[in-house]
Amino acid sequence: MGAAADRWLPQNPRLRRTWGAALALSLGLVLLPWVARLDGKQHANWLQFIGRFHPLAIHIPIGLLVLVPLLEIAGKHRASLREAAGLVLELAFVGCLLALTLGYLLAYGSGDAGSGVTRHMWGGIVLTIGVLASVLARPWWVRGSEERVYPALLGVTLTALLWTAHQGGSLTYGSGYLTAYMPPPMKQMLLVDVIQRDGDAGGSFYAAHIHPVLDANCVSCHGATKMSGGLRLDSYDALMRGGKQGPAIVPGKPEASLLLTRVTLPPDHKGFMPAEGRPPLKPEEITWLRAWVLQGASATATNLAGISIQAPKGLPIQPVGDYSALMPEIKLMQQGLGAKLLQVSQKPSDGLVLYTVDVASNFGDAQLAQFAKFAPYIVEVELGRTAVTDASFATLAKFTNLRAIHLEGTAVTGNGLAKLTGLTQLTYLNLSETKVTAAALAPLKSMKNLQNVYLDNTPAQPAPAATE
Amino acid sequence: MKQHPCCTDPEHGPNVMGLPIPTGLKQEWAELETRRCFLGRAGKVLGWAALASLMGDRMLTDAAHAAGPAATAGAAAGMSATSGDSIRLANFAPKAKRAIYLFMSGGPPQIDLLDYKPQLQGLYDKDLPDSVRGQQQLTGMTSGQARFPIAPSHWAFKQYGQSGAWVSDLLPYTGQIADDIAIIKSTNTDAINHEPAIMLMNTGNMNPGKPCLGSWLAYGLGSMNDNLPTFMVLQTKLNEKENNQPVSSRLWSSGFLSSEYAGVGLRSAGDPVLYLSDPQGVDREVRRQMLDAVNAINRQTYEELGDPETNSRISQYEMAYRMQASVPELADLSKEPQSTWDLYGPDAKIPGTFAYNCLMARRLAERGVRFTQVYKRGWDVHGNVTGLLPMLCGETDRACYALVTDLKRRGLLDDTLVIWAGEFGRTVYSQGGLTKDNYGRDHHPRCYSTWMAGGGIRPGITYGETDEYSYNVVKDPVTVRDFNATILHSLGIDHNKLTYNFQGLDQKLTSPVPASVVTGLLA
Repeated sequence: MGAAADRWLPQNPRLRRTWGAALALSLGLVLLPWVARLDGKQHANWLQFIGRFHPLAIHIPIGLLVLVPLLEIAGKHRASLREAAGLVLELAFVGCLLALTLGYLLAYGSGDAGSGVTRHMWGGIVLTIGVLASVLARPWWVRGSEERVYPALLGVTLTALLWTAHQGGSLTYGSGYLTAYMPPPMKQMLLVDVIQRDGDAGGSFYAAHIHPVLDANCVSCHGATKMSGGLRLDSYDALMRGGKQGPAIVPGKPEASLLLTRVTLPPDHKGFMPAEGRPPLKPEEITWLRAWVLQGASATATNLAGISIQAPKGLPIQPVGDYSALMPEIKLMQQGLGAKLLQVSQKPSDGLVLYTVDVASNFGDAQLAQFAKFAPYIVEVELGRTAVTDASFATLAKFTNLRAIHLEGTAVTGNGLAKLTGLTQLTYLNLSETKVTAAALAPLKSMKNLQNVYLDNTPAQPAPAATE
Repeated sequence: MKQHPCCTDPEHGPNVMGLPIPTGLKQEWAELETRRCFLGRAGKVLGWAALASLMGDRMLTDAAHAAGPAATAGAAAGMSATSGDSIRLANFAPKAKRAIYLFMSGGPPQIDLLDYKPQLQGLYDKDLPDSVRGQQQLTGMTSGQARFPIAPSHWAFKQYGQSGAWVSDLLPYTGQIADDIAIIKSTNTDAINHEPAIMLMNTGNMNPGKPCLGSWLAYGLGSMNDNLPTFMVLQTKLNEKENNQPVSSRLWSSGFLSSEYAGVGLRSAGDPVLYLSDPQGVDREVRRQMLDAVNAINRQTYEELGDPETNSRISQYEMAYRMQASVPELADLSKEPQSTWDLYGPDAKIPGTFAYNCLMARRLAERGVRFTQVYKRGWDVHGNVTGLLPMLCGETDRACYALVTDLKRRGLLDDTLVIWAGEFGRTVYSQGGLTKDNYGRDHHPRCYSTWMAGGGIRPGITYGETDEYSYNVVKDPVTVRDFNATILHSLGIDHNKLTYNFQGLDQKLTSPVPASVVTGLLA
């Protein structure tokens, strides 16, 4: 670099030494990642112990650097402030060096690696060099010999600061931290990916249930930004690839799958995941994981035997109106017919249940029709073993708030079940021990909320063969 | 102005029954009157008889006066509801409408059934560290033992289902419903002996005299079926080879609640209900006339004395009359499809077996009975564990599986809560001699395993943890109070709101000590 450096370096020997040292230091910083490679392995614990002060130490240079432009501007009016700015900038440089050192110890000691860590590291290096350059360029600016270099350097440094700090924040809090609750119009303006999901596997069990669990609980440490233990869990391929300790998932073998082992350890165990006091996985989430692994850990399978996950209720339960005024009429009706119309709870808005068990054999379509006047308030009808027939569907269609219908052991054949498709609240339909056929059930497929249809011992679902 | 028949001052004092006050207060007044009546009768001895007879047939209440003899059943129902209709409703929309409680009396050994402790195998015959036992007072049966040698389970365990729950080889059928049940490993109780422990489980109090769970439910929720009792008890026939602890009717007593809320037992052999069939020559019409006459007399007594137990008697006679029609249909298993027998196994055809009772419990659930408790005795395995447990599990395991599976198939598990529990667990150390082939286990209150399924319970989970000796709970303890509070919650009852004022205290199932619903068990 001889001649070029000669031209740029000042002639004053003291200054010359300073510049030489600064150049050497910068070169050292730039080469650091090659000298002490971040190999993703864990190193001595004391490195990590010291390194963990990095998140604390970074606030020193951040605070000081933000102060510098303010002091410089205010210094136009008060000379003492401008003097202070020089000291603050120099202190900021020392702070940068400290933070950089600790950060490197943290990354090296913990074995964290990944593109996020790398970006953050380079940010820190560029930032430190920027601050150093600013320190060196400032005397020219103060003397008035060069007016543009220092402000430009300071500008670049502050930008680098912002970017590095954001990268660091993403490592700690996850990349979606800032955008998660951003107002949608703003997201569109900034072109933030609204949903960052793994592919569009859509209906697969992995996409619907496994990936969201990993995404919510694991990806902040095992993701693109930070690959603790060399493991990434943010995509199916990465999950199956495993980490440094071997495969996370062994299809068909939950007991051999490290991921399952780690999440089911006692929470105070050293290897328990999610680590560092984060909330453990919920029991059902572990059940899904185990079932998914047991049944081959497929990326595309849509259903797992033995696992039925009820989607969060599509429609919130509609409160029914207040039937208090009708109570005398309801009482009279009960005395006449013997069937009971009981309140679900003390809250009238929880509705009424029709019980017919006392008079089952005498309760037919005509009797049911008499209850139609209370239809909006009835949320459940127990018509098991009554004399109702397919004609009852027309009546039941008027019970718009029905959530459950019991028709087990009745003479219904399913002819006219289509009339029930308007019952948007219906979640339960019991047709066990009837003559209902599979064909008759077809219209029910359109009912999204209808989660539980029981067909035990019907032509649609004959009794299971003996298990002995 | 009408006077109480025993009132000694005919000229003064208002008629409480005529006042515009809440019916609950009137009821309380009427109950006080029974005490006054007692004093009044005592007074007769002292020479007040004349005055009492002069009072004649004054009526207590206008309402009761108005109710003619024809409206027998209606009046009985009306009067029994004087405690206030508003009480007899769930506090919030319930997940379960009914419950079946499989009570394993005697204390099943959790270490051999559901609490898997593989590391104990390496500690065979080692002494239980004193630090684990702490200052605990043991029963007289083992407190004198020189040492407390650890007895690992004789049986291997396997993981079942998607949940991967560990279940003993003694319970292969229960393993098959691992994904339907929530196993609670951290149940713990305050009592170490059978009677207090079983009272605590059933009534929330070790002392007799409190209403049991089923009675509270009957009182709090009322009936779904007028033709069967709200609360029924099924006892399993004794197996003489097992160590049977007595099970008394205190366990289904209604305590201080009206006796119409007490559990009604079905006999385990012979006729389910004694003298249910009308004797020869007495047809149903004659029976009806007889009951009407008896009820009329009883109503008169109530009008005179105001003792609510008189009404309970009337309603029980009426229930018995209706059960004459409903029980034969209930006990008639001839219409059960073959799939039922395939599921429950051949035992279910023999009345009084646990399998038969489980099938009966399902039939009761179908018929709208709120609460059915099935008792199985014999779990008190102080010795000969390897001889007794296979027998006990053989009698119960398949039936438990069958019941849960049957309810699930028929779409009843959604709103039926099934509970499997004993009154306490058993010790990890052997009572008496420990050999490779056999051992005994003493009572252990600090942890025991139970399970629940259905109605609002999260399926396929294991809740709570015990230490490596299955001796102390180390995570998520569930006290008996919490256990009962959770059962009530599942049925739509806030355990703090279901109260009954007795002896100056708003009594409740979960006792005055604070209890909490175990939310981790809820779906």
